[in-house]
Amino acid sequence: MTITPDEAGAMLADVDAIIAKVKLSRMYRRIGEITMLWGAIMLLEHLVGMAAPRWWPGIGEAGDALGVAATLLLLVRGRSDREVRIPLRLLGAFALFFAFGFLWSDLGRFGPRELSVFWPSLFLFGYALAGLWLGVAFTAFGVVFSGLLLAGYFWAGQAFDLWIALVSGGGFVLFGLWMRRA
Amino acid sequence: MAAPDDTIHQPVRLRIMAALTALRPEDEGLDFARLKSLTGATDGNLGAHIDQLAKAGYVEVSKAFVAKRPRTTVRASTAGRAAFARHVTFLREILASS
Repeated sequence: MTITPDEAGAMLADVDAIIAKVKLSRMYRRIGEITMLWGAIMLLEHLVGMAAPRWWPGIGEAGDALGVAATLLLLVRGRSDREVRIPLRLLGAFALFFAFGFLWSDLGRFGPRELSVFWPSLFLFGYALAGLWLGVAFTAFGVVFSGLLLAGYFWAGQAFDLWIALVSGGGFVLFGLWMRRA
Repeated sequence: MAAPDDTIHQPVRLRIMAALTALRPEDEGLDFARLKSLTGATDGNLGAHIDQLAKAGYVEVSKAFVAKRPRTTVRASTAGRAAFARHVTFLREILASS
């Protein structure tokens, strides 16, 4: 078998490209799982909150705590990967986003309606930013669903809570499903 | 100098092995549809190449029904991982010696 250096170089480039695609796909899968988790949590929080408003904000706090714990579990599971290293950086981003969110949800003196839009749109902003590195689908998801949240804020009227539940919770679940298959 | 591997050398089979060895040994592998999109091969072509790799003992193929639909999953065997590593070393040596 005779292989020229040019052929060997082309084959190695092919191998590297395939490996990069597989790694990206695995990263999408892991972020997709976390995205679906938070979508399901937001959906449940809002639906339970609509059914039993007097339990709010306890439901929201319990759901968020559950989400953080489950996210940590998913990230720790990912740490056994040799090749895919999301954990610490993603964890740091989560912490910063939560810190920013808690700071401004307190300083901003938002009402319940504003808070319902603020939290998901804060994380959607993170997805829009991440899309600059991870792919245009992330940015599109962040921008489109932020727009839908704002549309609900201004025009959903009495259906606002249901709108937020479906757009934020349902949107994250659907995008997570897409990421797992991408 | 490492020796070339005649089975892995073929471009589609090289792509298949690159994709499968990018996973951890304990992972379940890649399904047929995913491999098809990664390698750019047609159904028949991909199936034939997977058969050749399986005959060489480089991949393990499992078939199952998921939601009433057949699903073929392929994963690299230990021998396949070693053979792929040797072949990549061979290619790097050619490049280095130029």
